[in-house]
Amino acid sequence: MSRMRSTVPLALLGVAAIALAGCSSSTSPAATAEPAAGALEPATITLYTSEPQEKADELVAAFNEIHPEITVEVFRAGTGDLTTRVATERESGGIQADVFLAADAGTFEGYAAEGLLLEYTPADVEALNADVVDAEGFYTGTRIIPTVIAYNTGIITEAPESWQELTDAAYADQIVMPNPDVSGAAAYNAAVWLDDEQLGEEWMTALAENRPVIADSNGPVSQAVATGAQPVGIVVDYLVRELAEQGSPIAVSYPSEGVPYVSQPVGIFADTEQAEAAQAFVDFLVSEEGQKLAVEQSYLPVRSDVGTPEGAPSMDEITILSPDLETIRSTQDAAVETFRSLFLR
Amino acid sequence: MTSTPLLPAGSAIRARGAVRRRTDGVDALVVALWLACGGLILLPIGALLVLAGRGDQLGVLLHGDVLQAGANSLFSATVSALAAVVIGTTFAVLLDRTDLPGRTVLRLLALSPLLMPPFVGAIAWLGIAGPTSPLNLWWRGTFGAPLWSIYGADGVILLLTIHSYPIAMLIVSAALRRIPTDLEQAARISGAGPARALTSVTVPLLRPALVSSFVLIAVGNLADFGIPSIIGLPERFVTLATLVYRYLQSGTVDDPLAVVATIGVVLLVLALLALVADGLLARRGWELDSSNAVPERTPLGHARVGVGAMMWAVVLLITVLPLLALLTQTLLRAPGVPLTWENLTLDHLVRAVTTPSALAGAANSTMLASLAAVICGILGLAIGVVVARTSGRAPRALGAVAMVPQAIPGIVIAVAWLILAPSLGLFNTPWLILVAYVTSFTALVVQAVAAPLSATPTSAEEAARVAGAGRLRALVDISARMATPAAVAGAVIVAVTAVRELTLSVLLLSPGSQTLGVAIFNFQQAGAFSTASAWSLIVALVGLAVIGLATRRTS
Repeated sequence: MSRMRSTVPLALLGVAAIALAGCSSSTSPAATAEPAAGALEPATITLYTSEPQEKADELVAAFNEIHPEITVEVFRAGTGDLTTRVATERESGGIQADVFLAADAGTFEGYAAEGLLLEYTPADVEALNADVVDAEGFYTGTRIIPTVIAYNTGIITEAPESWQELTDAAYADQIVMPNPDVSGAAAYNAAVWLDDEQLGEEWMTALAENRPVIADSNGPVSQAVATGAQPVGIVVDYLVRELAEQGSPIAVSYPSEGVPYVSQPVGIFADTEQAEAAQAFVDFLVSEEGQKLAVEQSYLPVRSDVGTPEGAPSMDEITILSPDLETIRSTQDAAVETFRSLFLR
Repeated sequence: MTSTPLLPAGSAIRARGAVRRRTDGVDALVVALWLACGGLILLPIGALLVLAGRGDQLGVLLHGDVLQAGANSLFSATVSALAAVVIGTTFAVLLDRTDLPGRTVLRLLALSPLLMPPFVGAIAWLGIAGPTSPLNLWWRGTFGAPLWSIYGADGVILLLTIHSYPIAMLIVSAALRRIPTDLEQAARISGAGPARALTSVTVPLLRPALVSSFVLIAVGNLADFGIPSIIGLPERFVTLATLVYRYLQSGTVDDPLAVVATIGVVLLVLALLALVADGLLARRGWELDSSNAVPERTPLGHARVGVGAMMWAVVLLITVLPLLALLTQTLLRAPGVPLTWENLTLDHLVRAVTTPSALAGAANSTMLASLAAVICGILGLAIGVVVARTSGRAPRALGAVAMVPQAIPGIVIAVAWLILAPSLGLFNTPWLILVAYVTSFTALVVQAVAAPLSATPTSAEEAARVAGAGRLRALVDISARMATPAAVAGAVIVAVTAVRELTLSVLLLSPGSQTLGVAIFNFQQAGAFSTASAWSLIVALVGLAVIGLATRRTS
C-alpha cells in the first residue's frame, strides 16, 4: 500500500498503460476473449520479487492481458534484501507486500512456520511437478532454476565436469560465484553443498583456496563469465542460456555430482487485503500461459505441457540434488556463515 | 567559499531594533524558520545521536569489519582529496595564469566530471579499464595478463579523484582571482623569473583555498556510495558507506539501525573534525583586496605546446572516453563479443528506454527533484534573507544551523531519517526521500542567496523603512525580491543534483518509489549492464547539455 500517488508518475503510467493496452488488443485477440470468465474487482497488489526487473515487468504485462483490472506494483531486490525488508516491516507496522515470489522454498518454509502465509493451492495444481508444490499448501514453485557451472568458450576449451574439479589449482583466480548474503539461490546452494556427502565443508574449503571472486548476485556472475573477466562461474542456468542466445561465448556444464535447484516459489502473505487479486496472480504464474512465458524467459517450467527453453536439457537428463528441505532450512543460516568465514574474510 | 560573512554591517537597523523590542513579523518569521530547521536538521541528527548513544554499540565499532571499512574510507577519502587538490590546483593555475592554448574550451571540459553523477562515471570507467575492457583484452592477448583492472582500492581512489578535482579547481580559481598580480610583478621587478614568481608568491597565498577544498572534498568522498560500491566491492574493498548499505539491506547484523547509527556518528565526528581543522588552518590566512588589474599571464615559452598537448590529452581522456565507453557498452549486442560493426545494435537502448521500472524511476526522480527544488528554494531564500539582513543571535545561529548539512555525509542524513521514519509515519513512502533531499540541499540555496545579498548595501531597505514600511515588509519587498534570482539559480542546482542522486535514495527507497539513480544501480547489480549503460549515457548527456546551456548564459 504505497502512498506514491503523485500526478507525474500517474500520468506517465497512464500513457504507458494506454500504449500497452493498444498493443495487446491488436496482437492477441485470443487473450482478450478470456477475461470475461475471471474478471475481478479492480485492485492493487504489491509484489516483492527477486526476478530480474525486465522479466518481472514482462510478467506483470502478461498478467494484465488477462486481468487488466489488477494493478501490480513490483518491488525488486535480491532474496536476502527482500527477507530483511519483510523483517523490518513486520516490526514497523506490517508487511507491505501481498505476494512474495523469490528464490528458495526454505525461506517460504520459515514464513509458513511463523504463520505469515495464506494457505492457497492454485487452480490447475494437478498439472504441476509435485516436487515444487508445498504439501501444506502455503506456497508453490513456479520455475526450476538449477545452479550449474558456466564457462567462457573462448578461454576454456575443456569444460569442468564436476564440482570437485573446480578445486583443481588450474582454476585458481578463474572462478566467480554469487554472494549468499544477497542471492537466495546462493544461500540455498551453500546449505545443499555442505549437506552433501560427496562435497561438504572439505570441498568448500578447497574451493575457497582457489580464491573465487564473489559477485553480488547471479547477474554479474554470468556477465563476468561471458566477457571472460572470470572464465568459470557458478551460476543459475537460465542466465547462461540467454547470453549464449545473444551470441556471447558462454556454455553450461551440468556437474556429475548433481545440481542444486531452487523453484522460485510464490506465496501470499496472510494479512493481505487483496486475497482474490493475489490468488489470481498466483494462478497465472503456474497456468499454461504463465508457464509458456517462463519458458520464453529461458526458465525450466514446473509443468510438462509447455515445452522447455531452446538449448535446455529436460529434467530427466540431468542429475538433481534434492536434499531434505527441513534440513536445509535449519542449516541455511549456519551454511551462509560458514561460506562467509571461508570466502569473505 | 572560504569565508562567507553572515552578517552585514547594518548597524543603523540594529540600533533601532534594540531600542524598540516589540515582537513583529520578522521575529515570527525567524521563529518559523527555526522550527523548520529544527525539524529538518536538528531533529534527525538528534535522533541519530540518541540511537547511537543508547545501548552499547562501542563493541560494534571495534568489530573487524567496521575497523577495516573505516580505515578504507579514511584512506580513500584522504588520498583522493589530496590528488584532487593537486590536479585541481594545477589545472586552475595553468588555465588562469598561463598562456595555455585553448583555455576556454579546456576549462569547460575540465569541469564536466562534476556534472556527471559519480556512479554513472563508475559504470562508464568499467568500460575503459574494467577487466574485460578492449585495452585489457588486447593486453591479455599479447602479454597473457590484463594490464590494470579498475576494481579495488586504486580504482576507487582514481574515480573519486576524477569526480572531485573540479571542486578544487573552482575554489582555487576563485581564490586566484582575488590575489592581485601586483605582488607577482613586484617579485618580477626584484629579479624573479615568471615561473618563480608564480610558485613562490601566488601559490603560497592559495593555502586557505587549498585547505578548504581539501576538507570539502574529503568529507564528500568519505560518504560516496556509488563508486566504492560498483568499483570497490568486487575486490572486497569495503568502505563505511557500502558497509552501512550492506548492514541495512541484508540483515547480516542484529539491530542494524543502531549499529548503522553508531557508524553514522563516527562519520559525523570525522566530518566535524575536518571542519575544525579547516577553521584553524584556513582562517589564519591572508585577507586580500580583490584587484581590478587584469592578471598578467605567465608565458609558458618552449613548454607551451608540450604542456598544452598533455593537458588536452588528460582532459579528453577523463571526459570524452567515458562517454565513448558507455556508448560502446550500450550498443554491443552481447557481452563478450568482439567490437565489430555487425555486433552493434540499438536493441538495448530501445529496450532500456521502454522499461517500465526505469521510466517510473525517472518520473519519481523528476517529481521528487522538482518538489525538493521548490521547497529548498523557498526555505533557502527565507533563511538567506533573514541571515543576511537581520541582526541578533537567533538569525545568526539559524544561518549556522542551516549550513551544517553541507558538512554531513549524505549517508548519515539518510540513516538519520531512516531512524525517524516509522515514528513519523514516513516509512515506505517516497516523502522520506523528499525530506532527506530538503535536509541535504537547502544549504545550497542559502549559500547562493546569503553571500551575494550580504555584499549588497542595505540602502534600499533603509529607504523603504524611512518611507514607512515595517521590518517584514522591507525584507519581503526589497531583500527577498533582490535575492530571488539567486534563489532560483540555487533551486535549479538542487533540482539537477537531486534528479540523478543515488546515495540518499538507495537507502530510503520503498516499493513503488524507486528513483532513477536506484533504477540504474539495480540494473548494474542485476547484471543488465547494457541497460545500465544506456540509462547512464542518457543521464550523462542530458545532464551535460542542461548544465552546459545554463552556464553558458551566465558566464
